[in-house]
Amino acid sequence: MITNPVPGPTAVARQWFLARSDLDALIQALRKAGRTVIGPTVRDGAIVNDEIQSAADLPAGIRDEQAAGRYRLAERSDDRVFGYTVGPTPWKRFTFPPNLPIATAHLSGGFGFEQPHITAPQLAFLGVRACEIAALGMQDRVFLGSPFTDEDFRARRKAALIVAVQCTTCSSTCFCSSMGTGPEVRNGYDILLTEIDEGFVVQAGSPAGAAIVAHLPTRRPTHAETGAAVDSVEAVRTQIGEPLPIAGIDRRLQHQLDNPRWGIVAERCVECGNCTMACPTCFCTSVTERSDMEGRTATTERQWDSCFDVNFAKVAGGDFRARPRDRYRQWLMHKFSTWMDQFGSFGCVGCGRCITWCPVRIDVREELQVIAPVIQPVERPVAVEPVAASPGDFSIARLASVRQETEDTTTLSLTDMDPAFLAGRPGQFVMVALPAFPAVPISISRFHSNGIDLTIRAVGATSTALVNLHPGAKVGVRGPLGTFWPIEDAFGRHAVVVAGGVGLSPLHGLVEALVANRDRFESVSLYYGSRTPEDQLFRDDLATWSAGKAIDVAVTVDRAGPEWKGRVGVVTTLFDMMSCDCSRITAFVVGPERMMQASVQSLISKGVPPERIHVSMERHMECGIGLCGHCQTGRYFVCKDGPVFSLSELGDLYVREGI
Amino acid sequence: MHARAMDDYAAVIAMLNHTWFGAELAPETQERLAKLGNIQDFEVDEVILHEGNDTRAMGVLVSGRLALRTLVPERGPVTILSVEPGDIFGWSAVLTDAQAQSTVVATEASRALVIDGVRLRAALKEDHALAASLYPQILNAVARRLRATRLQLLDLFAR
Repeated sequence: MITNPVPGPTAVARQWFLARSDLDALIQALRKAGRTVIGPTVRDGAIVNDEIQSAADLPAGIRDEQAAGRYRLAERSDDRVFGYTVGPTPWKRFTFPPNLPIATAHLSGGFGFEQPHITAPQLAFLGVRACEIAALGMQDRVFLGSPFTDEDFRARRKAALIVAVQCTTCSSTCFCSSMGTGPEVRNGYDILLTEIDEGFVVQAGSPAGAAIVAHLPTRRPTHAETGAAVDSVEAVRTQIGEPLPIAGIDRRLQHQLDNPRWGIVAERCVECGNCTMACPTCFCTSVTERSDMEGRTATTERQWDSCFDVNFAKVAGGDFRARPRDRYRQWLMHKFSTWMDQFGSFGCVGCGRCITWCPVRIDVREELQVIAPVIQPVERPVAVEPVAASPGDFSIARLASVRQETEDTTTLSLTDMDPAFLAGRPGQFVMVALPAFPAVPISISRFHSNGIDLTIRAVGATSTALVNLHPGAKVGVRGPLGTFWPIEDAFGRHAVVVAGGVGLSPLHGLVEALVANRDRFESVSLYYGSRTPEDQLFRDDLATWSAGKAIDVAVTVDRAGPEWKGRVGVVTTLFDMMSCDCSRITAFVVGPERMMQASVQSLISKGVPPERIHVSMERHMECGIGLCGHCQTGRYFVCKDGPVFSLSELGDLYVREGI
Repeated sequence: MHARAMDDYAAVIAMLNHTWFGAELAPETQERLAKLGNIQDFEVDEVILHEGNDTRAMGVLVSGRLALRTLVPERGPVTILSVEPGDIFGWSAVLTDAQAQSTVVATEASRALVIDGVRLRAALKEDHALAASLYPQILNAVARRLRATRLQLLDLFAR
């Protein structure tokens, strides 16, 4: 129902007075309008937001006492019903449910993916504070303001009527004034209540709100009453105190990746995830698949997740944020730094819930002050717009052929697919799905005139299922996604491709492009290392490229039997073959992270400029559009801003433990 | 193996200059090595040094390829590193009573400047300028090999 969720200047609005004894009329008017009223009520020793039937359910005469790691209810000396600050229930619970089916796959003849029919309940949110309105606005930007639109959120948000309440008290944990979100409610409401001794000063912020107010037993407020309303809000601002030095903290934090404070705070953090669950803006999710016992229907469900979860950044080969300090840094930096890169605002509204509900009393305000001194700004990279529509949406492609590359790696040739996929470029990837298996990101190893190749190493359930498919099978695909190799950066220069193991897969299409445009480069070299000779990918292509003399191909293996007459040693030993002016090299590097690190160090030591070294990063990717949070690496989302980055773009983020 | 004593030291120095190892040595060191050693040719599959035997000579590979192999019980010989042109082999010959840590086999027809260990050690002992020039480069070669071995130990491409 909300018409303008973006806070703006206060409009001069007509005001009414509603006696406290008549507040129930508001609740009943909302119910009579067909709405379920969600409002504050006391449960389990806290003021939570839940369905209420009447004003009798409200916390009359109750206040809350909040401090770091402490929340208690106490009696007020009056009978105010909104004489508390915010409880543990964020409103996102009703606009962004903790568990939501997002797709269903049916097997009947073939199979298809269906997205659920969206039905949003008609709700009225009663008691929404300024910081919480700002949080709803942030979620609007997350779910409605990016290339991806969450239609379920849109429906729920549109169906919710906002009855806001001005804060007339605050807690020691409140810092909305620092974040610029409060304490005054200025916009984004349908009805606004300011509680004073005798009742409420009421304003309408939308036609829907005005229609409800018209049915209430109101009168014109006196000057004393409107003055009391203004004074009470201003008193709260004074009570909160001086704002924190937040301006520029997003850039300052980016230079504090190694601050020892991360380790100190992590020693206290128990990783309970309370801060993310209570946060009104956190939106990281994970997707799970649930199949029926017949194996004919599989449901994809999205759940709230937390970046504090130990598995949140895990991939088959390990965990990119293995230490608690890494996960705490990820959370805090997303809120106060990389959210700004992502959405143009901070991800914190200053409600203080993460402070109150932290069982070990970690106060984010204190951590920010300690961690973030002044630093230089960093430029943002330019991201490629993804073709994808939504995480649950896949188009169907047909498997044309299967080619075994090595014992555990297989190339699938897909065809009969959306032409958009053919417009992709080397370095990009697709999300691949089968019913009942979680979607996985796979690099495009080759573009055909009528399809693409995906070269897949069987390491998990989905990849194993994929490599066991037979020609004619159908798979769900979404993409092409992510950034691509900047081949233009090598025009007129020495193009050097460095691949390790299955890292040759995302480089295969690049090598083909380099060969096809050979005249545009001074030289082209491919250095490829694998574990054993048997683990080499694309052996036919390697032989063809070598025989063609258009490019220099050098391969090495980590170990071999006596029958192998080629090179043995790590891929960096191949760099001894470079006889050109290394400052004129443009390098493209993919492989295991440690191999890339060694390669990059070696290239830099030889004089290759960092801005001319391009790498493709592997991270845990689920949504493919920079939303779910799994692949976040500092200020970047690898699925959207990457996977291809130049070394100068990554800067301090490159091969840094725990990012 | 075909060993050829070369009186044309300039030709040997030219060969050294085409290797990363030799090119960074002082001219005096290059000349000294050329006089200390001799050029040897190795045929494919020729064993140059057996694992466990005394390392009697150090070589600088000029062309071809050598394999360093270690015998692993139940797996047989495993190639752990290939020596490419410019790299050295038998570097432990600079140490007294050193045993070869791997078998050195030519996997291609190869050519190397080979320097007898006893003569090399004696020269290094008496000529401090030679030692000051040669030791850092030997250390550089060993360090490169150590770095590469560490990466191999990580088994980066393991499943």
